[in-house]
Amino acid sequence: MAEILIIDDDPDIVESMRIILECCRHTVKVAKSGEEGLKAAGAAKYDLIILDVMLETMSTGFEVARNIRTGFNNQNVPILLLTAIKESTGLDFGNVAGDKDWLPVDAYLEKPLKPNELLAKVESLLKGR
Amino acid sequence: MGTLNQLEELTERLYWLIRLRWFALMGVSCTVLFVDKALHVPLRYVPLYSIAAVLGVYNFLFLLYLNRLKTVSPTELPAITNRLANAQISLDLLGLAALIHFSGGMENPFAYYFVFHMIIASILLSRRASYFQATFASFLFLLTIGMEYSGLWRHFCIYRYGFCALEAGPLPLLGSGAAFVSTLFIAVYMASSISLKLRQKDAMLCEANLLLKEKDQIKSNYVLRVSHDVKEHLAAIQSCLDPVLHGMTGALTPAQEGLVRRSYDRTGKLMFFVKALLEITRLKLSRKIEIGPFSIRETAESAINFVEASARAKNIKLTWAVTPGVEEITGAQVYIEETIANFLANSIKYTPEGGSVDLIVGDAGASVLICVSDTGIGIPEDEISHVFEEFYRAKNAKAAERTGTGLGLSIAKEVAEKHNGRVWVESQEGKGSRFYLSLPKQAAVPGGV
Repeated sequence: MAEILIIDDDPDIVESMRIILECCRHTVKVAKSGEEGLKAAGAAKYDLIILDVMLETMSTGFEVARNIRTGFNNQNVPILLLTAIKESTGLDFGNVAGDKDWLPVDAYLEKPLKPNELLAKVESLLKGR
Repeated sequence: MGTLNQLEELTERLYWLIRLRWFALMGVSCTVLFVDKALHVPLRYVPLYSIAAVLGVYNFLFLLYLNRLKTVSPTELPAITNRLANAQISLDLLGLAALIHFSGGMENPFAYYFVFHMIIASILLSRRASYFQATFASFLFLLTIGMEYSGLWRHFCIYRYGFCALEAGPLPLLGSGAAFVSTLFIAVYMASSISLKLRQKDAMLCEANLLLKEKDQIKSNYVLRVSHDVKEHLAAIQSCLDPVLHGMTGALTPAQEGLVRRSYDRTGKLMFFVKALLEITRLKLSRKIEIGPFSIRETAESAINFVEASARAKNIKLTWAVTPGVEEITGAQVYIEETIANFLANSIKYTPEGGSVDLIVGDAGASVLICVSDTGIGIPEDEISHVFEEFYRAKNAKAAERTGTGLGLSIAKEVAEKHNGRVWVESQEGKGSRFYLSLPKQAAVPGGV
C-alpha cells in the first residue's frame, strides 16, 4: 500500500496504470502535465512518483525530475521514468538513468508498459526506499 | 560539391596525362630506335634521344609534384591544378615541336600528332585556354616551317634521295600550314564543345543528386514524425489491453479473452513494425552514431542469449564460436549486437524444426567477419540481391511466415554502412543461407565521432 503520483499527459496510459496499481491496493494520484505534477509534488509527500519523459515538450520530464529533487516534500522519493522516445532519439536510458546529476531518477521503463514489469519495478522501488 | 568533384576529376585526369606521357615516351623511343637502327635514316639522333630524356625527366617531376599536392589546402588546389595542366600541355607542345623539327619538320608524317594535344587540352582546360594552346601549337609549327624555309634553322630532310618538302616553294608550304592550323582549331572547337556539354550535364546531375538527397531527408523526417505518433497511440492501446488480459478488470469469458488477445497480438506486431521503421529512419538521418570499444565476444554471447529460447522452442541446434584473438573492436555495440541478434532470429525463423544455426565470429585482418549460417529455406536466386532492401521479403519467406517487417536486414545494412563495413548473403533455396557482416576493427565512422 503506497501513495503513488503519476505525471503523464496521456489519459489512456494513465488509466491503464491506475487500474494496474489499484489492483495492488496502491493509492494513485494523477497529474496531467509537468506543471500540475510539480504542484502536486510540492503539496504532498509520496512514496513513489511515476513520470513520463515527454510532457509539454520532449524533455519536460527531465526538468520535472530535477525540480522534484530540489523541491520540499519529495527530495528522496523514488522516481520511475517512462519513455517512449528511444527509437526516435536513440537515447538509451539504460546508460543515463544511473547518472543522478543529469537525470535524477531511480529506474526507467519503456512504453508500452507490461503490467508485470510495472508492478515488479514499483515493488522493488518501494522496497528500496 | 560539384566543384569538389570537378577538382578530383581534374587531378585524376592529370595523373592520366602523366600515364599517357609514359606511353608516348615509349612510342617516341621505339620509333626513333626503329628509324635509326632498322631504316638507317640519316637523322641527328642525339637531339632526338635527348628530347625523349627531357620528356621522361619532366614527366617524373610532374608526378612527384602531383603526389605532393595532396597536402595542399583545397582552396588553393583548383588554381594549382589548372596551372599544372596548362604547363604540361605547353611543355608537351614544345617537346613535340622540337622532335618534329629534328626529324624532318613538316615532312614528318607524325606532325599531325599535335591534334591529340588539342583534344587533351579541350578535355582538361577551359575553352579559352584550349584555343590559346591551339594558337601556341600553330605558332610553333609555323615557326618551324618558316625558320627552316628561310634557312635560319637547319632542315633535316628525312628522305634520303631526291624530294625535299622545302624545295616545293612557298605556296604548297603555305597550304600545308593553313591545313595544319585549321585542323588544330577545328579539333579544339569540336572536342571542347563535346567536353563542355558533358561538363554541364555532369553539373546538372550533381545538382539533381543533391536535390534528391535533400528530398529523401525530408521524407525520412516525415516518416520519423508519423511513426512516432503512431507508436504513441499503439503504446496506449497496448497499455489498456494489457490489464484486461491479465484479469485486472475482472474475469473474461473465453470468447472475450480470445478477441482481446487477438487485438493485443496484432497491436504488438504493428508496434514491432513501427519500432523497426523508426529505427531505420533514425539511423538514416543520423550523420554519426556513438561508438566505443567493446568486446565482440560478449556481444555475440548476448545476441545468442537473446535468441536461445526461440531456437530451443523449434528444436534448432544453436552453436557459436569466436576465433581466439578477436576480442575488442570499436563500434556502436548496441547496433552490432542487434544486427547479430537479427541475423540469428532471422535464421531461426526461416529454419524448419530440427535444423541448425551457427554463429561464427572470425578474424579477417583489419576487420572481423561475423557469419550466421543456417539450414533453412534459403533465398531464391533472383531475390538474393533484394533482401537488404527496405520492406523487401522473399516469396518463400512470405509463404513461410505471414508476418515480418522486411526491415530487419535493411537495418543491418545501414548499421554496417555506418561502420564502414558490409553485409551480404550467400544462399541456396531449400538448403540454407549464410549471412555475413564484416566490420573494421577500428570503425572509422563516416562523418567523424
